Amino acid sequence: MALRIEIGQYYAVDSPVHALDARVKLCCALVALVAVFCSANATQLGASAAFTLGVLVAARVPGGRVIASVRPLVAFLAVLSLFNLVFVRTGEPLATLGPLTVTTGGAWAAVLYTARFAVALVLGSLVLLTTTPTRLADALDSLLSPLSRVGLPGHEIAMVFSLMLRFVPMLADEASAIMDAQALRGGGLDEGGPAQRVRSIAPVVVALLASGLRHADGLARALDARCYEGGSGRTHFHEQPLARRDAVAALVTVMFVAALALLGALPG
Amino acid sequence: MRLSHVSLFYEGGVTALDDVSLELARGERLCVLGANGSGKSTLASVICGLLAPDEGEVELVGERVCAGGRPDLEAYRRARRSLGLVFQNPDDQIVTSVVEDDVAFGPENLGLPRDEIALRVARELHRVAMDDYAHADPSRLSGGQRQRVCIAGALAMEPAVLVLDEPGSLLDVRGRAAILRVMGRLAAAGTTLVHVTHFMEEALEADRVIVLDHGRVALAGAPEEVFAQDEKIAGLGLEVPFAARLSERLGLPRTCDEAALVDALCETKGTGSFVSSTQASKTHEPARPASPILQVEHASFSYGPRSHALGDVSLEIAAGTSTAIVGQTGSGKSTLLRLLCGLEAPDEGRVLVDGSDTARRRGRRAARSLVGYVMQHPERQLFAETVERDVAFGPRNLRLPADEVERRVTRALELVGLADRRDASPFKLSGGQRRLCALAGVLAMEPRVLVLDEPTAGLDPRGRAMLRGVLGRLRELGVTLVQVTHSMEDAARADRVVALDQGRLVADGTPAEVFSAANERRLDEGGLGIPRALRVARELERRGWPSLGDPLTTDDLVAAIRGGEA
Repeated sequence: MALRIEIGQYYAVDSPVHALDARVKLCCALVALVAVFCSANATQLGASAAFTLGVLVAARVPGGRVIASVRPLVAFLAVLSLFNLVFVRTGEPLATLGPLTVTTGGAWAAVLYTARFAVALVLGSLVLLTTTPTRLADALDSLLSPLSRVGLPGHEIAMVFSLMLRFVPMLADEASAIMDAQALRGGGLDEGGPAQRVRSIAPVVVALLASGLRHADGLARALDARCYEGGSGRTHFHEQPLARRDAVAALVTVMFVAALALLGALPG
Repeated sequence: MRLSHVSLFYEGGVTALDDVSLELARGERLCVLGANGSGKSTLASVICGLLAPDEGEVELVGERVCAGGRPDLEAYRRARRSLGLVFQNPDDQIVTSVVEDDVAFGPENLGLPRDEIALRVARELHRVAMDDYAHADPSRLSGGQRQRVCIAGALAMEPAVLVLDEPGSLLDVRGRAAILRVMGRLAAAGTTLVHVTHFMEEALEADRVIVLDHGRVALAGAPEEVFAQDEKIAGLGLEVPFAARLSERLGLPRTCDEAALVDALCETKGTGSFVSSTQASKTHEPARPASPILQVEHASFSYGPRSHALGDVSLEIAAGTSTAIVGQTGSGKSTLLRLLCGLEAPDEGRVLVDGSDTARRRGRRAARSLVGYVMQHPERQLFAETVERDVAFGPRNLRLPADEVERRVTRALELVGLADRRDASPFKLSGGQRRLCALAGVLAMEPRVLVLDEPTAGLDPRGRAMLRGVLGRLRELGVTLVQVTHSMEDAARADRVVALDQGRLVADGTPAEVFSAANERRLDEGGLGIPRALRVARELERRGWPSLGDPLTTDDLVAAIRGGEA
């Protein structure tokens, strides 16, 4: 049983999207995501999809990688669309199956919400695929720095985020190794009745917790040894002034949002 | 750097360091030895300014950081900026997902300007020969490469003292050799080094060695002096280097240096009279006509479209034999083990465990009931409050009656020699004992085949000896053993050696066949060495000794040399 977590796995290649300042990229992505979630008709959805496709091409990330990185959430999308299909009761009834009725409104909602989510997911995963965790954390750090001024741990949040990206895949690997080991001792999570399965969770979770603590210990030692003392006094290896391409990216995003708004205002 | 009368206690009255005094001169290379739990890592932390002792005085890089057990936190902060640490597990030390960003992490924390950081990152990556990997993802590098990244990260902070706490204990032979090369270069460049290790051979390079035992300095001095005290070293759970053992047994002037020993042997040869060596009569017990219990037929396996872990591997393993699988990191050894115990089924070809095909679910289930799998660092699977409960986990899952569970637990614990620790918490055992406890958990399933993934990795000499003893007993009981190992000495003790390189079988046969002169180049290409005894014998033969008959163990080598001298 292999748990492969692909979210947040940087894909190294030179592209205009990779070269963008992470802060700008993050802000543009956030704005674009909100815009995508506001799209309500087919043309808007189409425009969103086209925009995302454009970013994908510019980022030079193979489509397979993107699909692999969002795959864990596909099941979630399926459930979401199913719920919409069954529970939205507006519009004309299309089909009835026992107590369940599928309406035109339900069908439309199923398509709309799923498509919105899918586009948003791809966009989000493109940010992660084109930005190294350090840059992402640096960007978060500087975007969250106003928080530090009001006494909130802005920098620490960013650091925790970056460490999470680094350690989650490793812990996942370890979890699968422990699960294998316990499974071979007859304590597999996929064996026996529900009661036994629940009982089988404890040996995996306790062992994983112990191993998590060990890593935490090691990491604390490493951070201390490398004089990490929080945000104050740190410099950044990748600090770079904003370039023209950042302005271009911002402009493209604004144009995209404006186009969506315009398409929304159009009848139909 | 100076420590005087330093003691440190952990919670629960555990004494980690007991009245340790130590001085370190600029440019010195100090090696710290000791069994698991002797306080080596604690000492490393104290030297790096990460732990303040409870008693005594500490002076680090000219800062008086601790006096009378009272730490001066400001002084500690200043001192830490000139102290570097690299420890066992590279995974815990790499904080980012890009190699160069990680090396830059320390300098960033020091608040250096960007240009300076860029300069140092490039310089240190070059020093550890990782220039080509500046933009790589550390999780895709080998253990040795990752550890070199960690060293570069520490060096980029330009420390006055670099402390390496068992940097090679989780690495394969090639990875460890690369780390040693880097350390040699650093020492030559005048960096002050403190090296904590389990490998006695590595200590020979040091200017000075100290041996810790229960938090006390038991021995100190130049390597040759320290290793001259055989009995004391053995009593401390360590072993003297191979060359020292060999020279002792041959009755030659004692030396720790393999090259010097070979020279000395060549001289005696010059003076002594020689009879051409009687081939050390090493008849392997005739192959028992046992039926194969594990059969692998043209098996291929890959984890993804681009990663080919194993390609067209065929082998048969007879019941009751012991097999060693060797190969460097990423050669597919662990994958082969996973196939053998039915955790994965091959994409192509077949794996038969006692006749049942693991391609089918039922076959895999049958395989699992027959094969015990001891994963890498099996102590990670421990979870229960007591040793007894942890070991009983497997038998209970089989829903055996209580008295049968009891019998199996007792037997497994006796086999590994932990019968008196039944009620202890597995997390309170020493490193070696924890591993034996996990092994007992697998043995309680009473497997007929035991598959082990690097069972001795990270253990001290005493732990390694304990584990080898247990495996020897299991063999006598007729359990089939298959183990992945980095130690060619362990491989030489097996009935059979299987060498893998890049997912393919490159050699398969008895140790004598696999380590034969004809195979040497192939093994070398696969990043594998040969057993030490054989290496010495080949060197002697090259320098004019008559054939020594390819001895694989120290005993054989001694016998062959004696035979030659007679």
